[in-house]
Amino acid sequence: MMKLLDISKKYGEITHKYPFEPYKVCENFRGKPAYIFDLCIGCAACGIACPSNAITVQLNDNQSKLIWEFDCGRCIFCGRCDEVCPTGAIKLSEEFELAVKFDKSALIQRGELDVQYCTTCKKPFSAKRLVKYSFDCLSKANVSEKRLEEAKEYLCMCPTCKKTATVATFTSGKEMVIE
Amino acid sequence: MKCDKFIEALSTRVKVLEVTRQCEDQVTALVELNDLPEAVRFLYYDMGGYLTTMVPNDERSINKHYALYYALSMEGGKMFEGDEIAQDEKCFVTIKTLISPDSLVFPSVTPLVPACVWYEREAYDMFGLVAEGLPDKRRLVLSDDWPDNLFPLRKDAMDYRYRPDMKDHYMEPEYEFLRPEGSGIIDVPLGPLHITADEPGHFRLFCDGDTIIDADYRLFYQHRGMEKLAENRMNYDQMGYLAERVCGICGYAHAIACIEAAEKAINLEIPARAQAIRVICSEIERLHSHLLNIGLACEVTGNYNAFMHIFRIREYSMKLAELVTGGRKTYGNVVMGGLRRDITGVEIKESLRILHIIETQVDEVWDAVMDDKRQMSRWKGVGILDKQVARDFSPVGPNIRGSGIKRDTRYDHPYDFFKQIQFDVAVVEGGDVFAREMVRYMELKSSVSIIRQCFELMPQTAIIVDPTFHVKPENYALAYVEAPRGENVHWIMQGSAQKVFRWRCRAATYNNWPSLRFQFRGNNLADAALIVCSLDPCYSCTERVTVVDIKSKKSKILTHSDLKNFARTQKESPLKDLR
Repeated sequence: MMKLLDISKKYGEITHKYPFEPYKVCENFRGKPAYIFDLCIGCAACGIACPSNAITVQLNDNQSKLIWEFDCGRCIFCGRCDEVCPTGAIKLSEEFELAVKFDKSALIQRGELDVQYCTTCKKPFSAKRLVKYSFDCLSKANVSEKRLEEAKEYLCMCPTCKKTATVATFTSGKEMVIE
Repeated sequence: MKCDKFIEALSTRVKVLEVTRQCEDQVTALVELNDLPEAVRFLYYDMGGYLTTMVPNDERSINKHYALYYALSMEGGKMFEGDEIAQDEKCFVTIKTLISPDSLVFPSVTPLVPACVWYEREAYDMFGLVAEGLPDKRRLVLSDDWPDNLFPLRKDAMDYRYRPDMKDHYMEPEYEFLRPEGSGIIDVPLGPLHITADEPGHFRLFCDGDTIIDADYRLFYQHRGMEKLAENRMNYDQMGYLAERVCGICGYAHAIACIEAAEKAINLEIPARAQAIRVICSEIERLHSHLLNIGLACEVTGNYNAFMHIFRIREYSMKLAELVTGGRKTYGNVVMGGLRRDITGVEIKESLRILHIIETQVDEVWDAVMDDKRQMSRWKGVGILDKQVARDFSPVGPNIRGSGIKRDTRYDHPYDFFKQIQFDVAVVEGGDVFAREMVRYMELKSSVSIIRQCFELMPQTAIIVDPTFHVKPENYALAYVEAPRGENVHWIMQGSAQKVFRWRCRAATYNNWPSLRFQFRGNNLADAALIVCSLDPCYSCTERVTVVDIKSKKSKILTHSDLKNFARTQKESPLKDLR
């Protein structure tokens, strides 16, 4: 009994002053995923990787915007989204104070991205930024001017129309030279 | 090859129809349905096996039958010195049998091997397979108002999201507790809901005065159908995270057991560095779990001072986990084929510093606790688990090692990096709460040494293999990990399209519960909470208690604090005005 009191005396007060002073977490702590809207291209890689369906990427009701949505209440802080994001738009932060007061909708974070409409069928199929990102990647990939123009055209088409267009070119009888 | 000896011996007793090998140390022997009890009994008692798990499976889409797999860990009876199988012959032998969907009946093994009792009760709940001759046929997993004839794990039974309507409170069927005969016995129900612990469980203690003469319990209030969920919508990447959430304390052990089962089924060897880091993380988990339990064993008996000191040290182990994995509790770094996160040199250096702090301070506090005569008198001689009971019920972890039986998966079936690591298995004779806490203390010390050895021996290799592997449908394997509370065993049969066909997750405490009844007998009511606590089942009882005196038909509701006070001080029995 006395020995325990001696130990108490030896170590003194060890509790942190938290919440009156900040609590420091380790480097590489897996806290709340922080979303940087400006970097997001709407590729939905995070939505596919997320094991608990905390991240969803889908078109809104009137199909005018692509909605990236993160529900912190479902998040398990595994960091898969961080790993798969091609642009670093989502990174695990050091934030761990996640409680909300009464309003659960405060746990939800969303980003509205402009959609790309298909040049042929006028239906929305992707985010404008994703199309731009793909084009930028191609421009850096040492592709010839003419091919790049062609790619630009294709990038703005939805997958179905792209298929139709490709088949149409192949069967039109025109000869093509691949540069 | 390993295991052949046991199959040979088995075939002299019963007719073995088919032998298949899953991996180096796992074989399955198919026997006829009527030979099942004898085959399991022979391996269990005559050849020195312990029941690891039992898996019922709906294989109608494969071979038009239901199947049962009784997995036995062949390691020797360990009842006396030398009663052990040689280290290189230890293995797992699974007895498989097929049940026709027309009869749905199989002969119960429980009368011969008591350890099977819970598994066979669960087989009825989940698959509707009736164990003929099972002495206790009550429901185990599903709630009492679950519809009859709906067996959730049958492949064609229901959608995994289906939730049957609850019955109104007064319509709900009564759960029959096994009660001892005689007059003047007082029923003490404990639970199921309580604020302090994370796991609800209902205990019915039958008391004569303050002495417990028998006990029965109803658990599984938190059954969530994870197995069904995983079979229906998860792929292997997601399953690891789901498995990690099976338990609030030993989650990481579940995650590696689950993923390793999938890896073993396709014989995928992971890099040595990944193995070492898996071992390090699971030992860190052991550190914080054992510190938690020793702390609680002090707290339940009113020794707050020691409790606070142990939790102060436990904070270092949580910090250690945060440092090397990025999360205090869910480490989230296991994926099939290896790991997602490596440990850097800076982290190793800092970890070694923290380990030193933990090691020295644990010694200080433990020394002070051992010196405290009042604490010792509460621990010694309480909740004794008899060696023979332990042999019959196959308990695991510190629970069985406290009864002088040297069972430790890390030692018997070294997995991952344990082949290269030296450590002593903590075994203490006595079987009481003190012995179990002593085992935990000794394991704290060995965990620290294991982590140090891992840091030292960890080679500089990749931490993940090339992820182009193909799962093969219908392959299955067992994986076993020594979690802080005992071995966690996962059994996975792979299905098509990167999904599992059947996932059986057996947590350590599942094997420890059936023998708890014997540990309660003859003890004081005030020690009930302590005995449950020493099992380390996620401290689950003393919240709200109703006491009914059968003789006088008087009842009284005890609050959490009433019972806790009695547990701490052993004075002013809350039952005294009922007598």
